[in-house]
Amino acid sequence: MAVTRTAEHEELNRLLQQAGRSDQQAFAELYRRTSSKLFGVCLRMLHDRGAAEEVLQEIYITVWNRAASFDEAKASAITWLTTLSRNKAIDRLRQHREELPDDPRTLDEAVDEQPSPAAQAQTSQEHRRLTDCLDALEPQQRSSVREAFFSGATYNELATRCQVPLGTMKSWIRRSLMQLRTCLDS
Amino acid sequence: MNTPADEGNHNLRYAEYVLGVLDADARAEVAHEVRTSSEAATAVALWQRRLQPLAEEITEATPAPYVWARIHDALQLDAPPQAVPRKRLWDNLALWHWLGLGASAVAVALLLVVALPRRTPPPLPTTTAVAYMASTIKQDNGTTGWTATMDLQHARMVVVPAAPATLAQGRAPELWLIPAGQKPIAVGMISRDQPTTLALAPALLAQLGPTAALAVSVEPPGGSPTGQPTGPVIAKGTIGAAPETGGDKVAGNARKSTERPRV
Repeated sequence: MAVTRTAEHEELNRLLQQAGRSDQQAFAELYRRTSSKLFGVCLRMLHDRGAAEEVLQEIYITVWNRAASFDEAKASAITWLTTLSRNKAIDRLRQHREELPDDPRTLDEAVDEQPSPAAQAQTSQEHRRLTDCLDALEPQQRSSVREAFFSGATYNELATRCQVPLGTMKSWIRRSLMQLRTCLDS
Repeated sequence: MNTPADEGNHNLRYAEYVLGVLDADARAEVAHEVRTSSEAATAVALWQRRLQPLAEEITEATPAPYVWARIHDALQLDAPPQAVPRKRLWDNLALWHWLGLGASAVAVALLLVVALPRRTPPPLPTTTAVAYMASTIKQDNGTTGWTATMDLQHARMVVVPAAPATLAQGRAPELWLIPAGQKPIAVGMISRDQPTTLALAPALLAQLGPTAALAVSVEPPGGSPTGQPTGPVIAKGTIGAAPETGGDKVAGNARKSTERPRV
């Protein structure tokens, strides 16, 4: 499993580098291999197929234009691509903030359950390490961090959603981030 | 002078940026810092490495094929819109000829039933794209002239005659795609007595959808000399997602902003 994953990641690094040299075939192949993942990221945050399609289009146009700046020493291609996608999706959320629906979900409903054991078996060592550290947080704080990551919501939106004062939400998240850093860097 | 607490807080802003909780203004400030300060860029990269593994939990979703066609168009790439065509049942011309014998929407539906279980490779568990679209192109008297099935993945359309009206000597049917409120785009010449396979250029592929229509006009055998229909339009049809193609939503819902699928 680990070997396959590494090989796949190296292949994506290679494709992104080739796209950076204006190799259209490599770019098409990169799209074929990564668009489902990146579309998943967009859909998860935007909850709207049309908007997610527009953002996905923007993402790959940016990929084509910026691929030359990709440096595999700094981040793997898949990290580079998902980071870019989350940023684009969050920017879109901030631009269209007034259109956000009143989200009646409470945090308990909204937050994803932990991945199933089967799904977990397919995740990386880094992911397991991160979830171990998340597990060490208070349940409410862990939920807030996960909801923030997956929804792209602001502090304000999170506080409203969880029906806690803004200050409480900020301190939950900040404390969690500090704890995570200590746990992950140890 | 920075106290250790300030530095801690400052570093937290990079974490907050990566997590995605900052509002638009604070976000823009950090993004600016990342572009102008290598220290900020390094701090953000570190936080990305810490938090990004969570993204592995996100369920994949296959985007509709027209998204690639639009990217292809926007970047003016010259590579073909689909990188790897695969040989499948769709490529079996004998089947299309056979279908042509009694062609109708029923035949198209039958084809889909036959073709789907053989789709290879098996789709990812969360595949949601519309793979096929179909149109029944009806004549003014209400009878079906042709049926068209569009394979979006492989950017092509097969047009099967059902009971097209007889045309005057030296005239031939030409198929047009008419996006809502726009001029017709030539798709190609079709036949009255056998199935025709037409390749769909990216510009065409990008326009396929429930707001577009197909129409057949009567033209000289080589096609309209002007690039727009010159003869009478003898048949028209709307475009819909082909039934039972494994997609959960037809493209018609795709752009409704009211739709908010939980994912």
